[in-house]
Amino acid sequence: MDQECNSLQAGQCNTLSLPSDVFCPRLHTHTRSLSLSLSLSLSLSLSLSLSVKVNNMASNNVHHDEENGTDTENSHNDRQKCKVLDIRSEFCHHDPDVARINNGSFGCCPSSVIEAQQRYQLRFLEQPDDFYFNHLKPSILRSRQAIKTLIKADHVDEISIVDNATTAAAIVLQHVKWSFFDSKFNPGDTAVMLHYAYGAVKKSVEAYVTRAGGHVIEVNMPFPVASNDEIIAAFRNALELGKSNNRKVRLAVIDHITSMPTVVIPVKELVKMCREQGVDRIFVDAAHAIGSIEVDVKEIGADFYTSNLHKWLFCPPSIAFLHCRNPEVSNLHHPVVSHEYGNGLAIESSWIGTRDYSAQLVVPEALDFVNRFEGGLDGIRKWNHQKVVEMAEMLVKTWGTNLGSPPEMCSSMAMVGLPPSLGIASHSDALKLRSHLRDCFKVEVPIYYRQPKDGEVNPVTGYARISHQIYNTIDDYNRFRDAISNLVNCRFTCKLLHN
Amino acid sequence: MGEIRSHGEDPEDDNHHKKPKLSSFITQSQIQQEFAHHKSGVARINNGSFGSCPGSIIAAQKRWQLKFLQQPDDFFFNQLPTQILRSRTLIKDLINADDVSEVSIVDNATTAAAIVLQHVGWAFAEGRFHKGDAVVMLHCAFQAVKKSIEAYVTRAGGSVIVVQLPFPVHSNEEIISEFRKGLARGKANGRKVRLAIIDHITSMPSVIIPVRELVAICREEGVSQVFVDAAHAVGSVSVDVKDIGADFYVSNLHKWFFSPPSVALLYCRKSSLSSELHHPVVSHEYGNGLAIESAWIGTRDYSSQLLVPEVVDFINRFKGGIEGIRNKNHNAVVEMGEMLAKAWGTSLGSPPEMCPSMAMVGLPSCLGVLSDNDASRLRDHLRDQFSVEVPIHYQPLKDGEGGARDEGGGFITGYARISHQVYNTIDDYIKFRDAVNQLLHDGFDCKMLGRE
Repeated sequence: MDQECNSLQAGQCNTLSLPSDVFCPRLHTHTRSLSLSLSLSLSLSLSLSLSVKVNNMASNNVHHDEENGTDTENSHNDRQKCKVLDIRSEFCHHDPDVARINNGSFGCCPSSVIEAQQRYQLRFLEQPDDFYFNHLKPSILRSRQAIKTLIKADHVDEISIVDNATTAAAIVLQHVKWSFFDSKFNPGDTAVMLHYAYGAVKKSVEAYVTRAGGHVIEVNMPFPVASNDEIIAAFRNALELGKSNNRKVRLAVIDHITSMPTVVIPVKELVKMCREQGVDRIFVDAAHAIGSIEVDVKEIGADFYTSNLHKWLFCPPSIAFLHCRNPEVSNLHHPVVSHEYGNGLAIESSWIGTRDYSAQLVVPEALDFVNRFEGGLDGIRKWNHQKVVEMAEMLVKTWGTNLGSPPEMCSSMAMVGLPPSLGIASHSDALKLRSHLRDCFKVEVPIYYRQPKDGEVNPVTGYARISHQIYNTIDDYNRFRDAISNLVNCRFTCKLLHN
Repeated sequence: MGEIRSHGEDPEDDNHHKKPKLSSFITQSQIQQEFAHHKSGVARINNGSFGSCPGSIIAAQKRWQLKFLQQPDDFFFNQLPTQILRSRTLIKDLINADDVSEVSIVDNATTAAAIVLQHVGWAFAEGRFHKGDAVVMLHCAFQAVKKSIEAYVTRAGGSVIVVQLPFPVHSNEEIISEFRKGLARGKANGRKVRLAIIDHITSMPSVIIPVRELVAICREEGVSQVFVDAAHAVGSVSVDVKDIGADFYVSNLHKWFFSPPSVALLYCRKSSLSSELHHPVVSHEYGNGLAIESAWIGTRDYSSQLLVPEVVDFINRFKGGIEGIRNKNHNAVVEMGEMLAKAWGTSLGSPPEMCPSMAMVGLPSCLGVLSDNDASRLRDHLRDQFSVEVPIHYQPLKDGEGGARDEGGGFITGYARISHQVYNTIDDYIKFRDAVNQLLHDGFDCKMLGRE
């Protein structure tokens, strides 16, 4: 592959030619791979049709298609006879020129679910009063019931639907604020959260807990991280600190999968530890969890658990659930108060004034989409995890770097060390490099800056958080690989991006 | 706002800056086409509740939604903040605010109320306000606002003064006088009044309130801050926030300003107090001012907030622009209201000059609307049996005073809130007239609808 080195100034881009192999995501035992030659300008959605055998049922071995009867191996007829799911057409609205390896930030939504959403939007526009009085509530209930089954909750009353995990955090933290005001909690009582907690959640803790008199302790988790033990030990230390000087730990905010840097956290163990240590309220921020790892809220045992459905569960922007273990006792309220105030969080959240609720109504359709894949959600999760680890290992091998965590601590995302020669020396560098990759290479991937420890030689200070979702192909990662290799070979450093 | 936007933009610019031909304003047939998605066969005379959105705006919204789906990161970093600022700037001009920093975009008036009241709640919690300090609201404030006061003020130890306004009402003077008396009564025991919440156009029953005068009274009476809930105002009455003089002013744009659900403006007059407002959904933008906080409250669909420029273009297709639309709607709704009142032997709940693009039309007393429950079930009945969509208001009689009477001599206790928007035709109101006449003919009484 030719690698052109121009003099690199900000904004000046190299051209790359794409590799000739396009790897088709394999969702059952019979693989089909297609070889095509592509150029950057070719619209993938028009020219490619990747066929994947689909299955109505979630079983692994029995391929019983209602329409076509028998189960055969390696059959050319399979593709014609069986229902074909065209992944490319479901995601044809994705910009075809972009190597979209950042599903983690904003998620994705297949066309069939968008169409379902648009039908709901139209029904509101057609006759909004009728929609409001006769259809909205039952449709939201339908979504809540689907979620309850998915996350193995006991009762649908425990499930509220909100816009996103950011909103769920505000709900939980506002409740903590009231506990301080009502003197249930004392000034100086502590809240424990991970150092790598999401930025919005940290601000929310500041806005509601610190402001109300609480004291915040951050868990200093190492990164790169080698095992769950490191996290558990760090958390234990933080809890000890939180209880020191006669204080009580009133709140623990625990990520199920941290955002940046991304790591799967052993929440079950941490929740157990919190219970043993008498922490009042345990809130698990699992924004990335549903659709990328297994979620069983009863097993995890937190008081509050939230996850976005638009990230990894194919819902449109935006929708999240907030699971509340004891809704009658918790007295949570939605901060936007409507006439439903006092009827329980789930009902309050189902009406917060006139707005477009359509994203909240298509959970059943999203699950239908998922169940068209062999193995259903389980199958998709395992596939994404396997592929992202494979791609991550390919990248670190090419660049001579390391992963940020072992594979078993990766979800459908992985932290891939970037070559030190790139000279990522600050958060600002990381952001600028991300823009540079977007603008000049059409690669969309978030970059994390890791401050090196004293004495580290030639440290890896930059990590890319790569995602894998069903629309991704090996081509996306090859383009990223080549972009970085190109930058390295041309002796690019982030200093070149400074003004 | 009534002038035609002039050409002069870069031809490569977005589609909405083309110079419209002076000679061709939008035609009636084009209007019907824009609202072709409205369910046919329904007399849709309730624009006030959920508003309406023309097809061309919906199409523009879909284009924005697609941009996000195509490349969300690029949209988030490179397009969203600019577009929100563009909308805010146009809104600032629309309402005559001084500075764009005073204009935040939020989902709806309900959200704006939560923002302002949460701010009051903090003041109680942090000792700036004291237990028993009061908040003033109108008796007919929107139910969500009442609950928000309960959630943030009462719960924090504040008290509430409720000012009763007359209905039916005959003049602004009645309202001004009642408000002055009610406020004075509420302050009688020396309570400090920290916030007054005043509707610009009440919801049910719907009447234009003389807000400018009421805000002035509040200032005279030492009320610290005034919040005007003008959910219905933009697009149905003239709005000049400086002239009105409130500290906070909110209006929905999806009701009368042709925006899709949902988008509202929250104006906060620049002052040391207003900088303390926060959006309750906290993001990384916390502390950067309410307008910036509101522009990012986590991943969601912001497309309805980006369409103000397209809506302005749509409005400019009408003769007289937004003022022309307002006047036409007002005249039509008054005409239709008077037609109905005449047909039923009833009366309007307020004089025409106190009607915006909505009017309260008395229902014949023999329909027997004697409770809120009756009113809502009658509304359902009209929807289900007659395909007429119109909200019904139950107005209890005042002790010792009775109330308005219909031609038959009975007291009028039920009012229909009819709306008129550009898509309405006289047939919608004729259908309603005939539906009620049918009910009368059949000897209908709300008692027949049975218990819920």
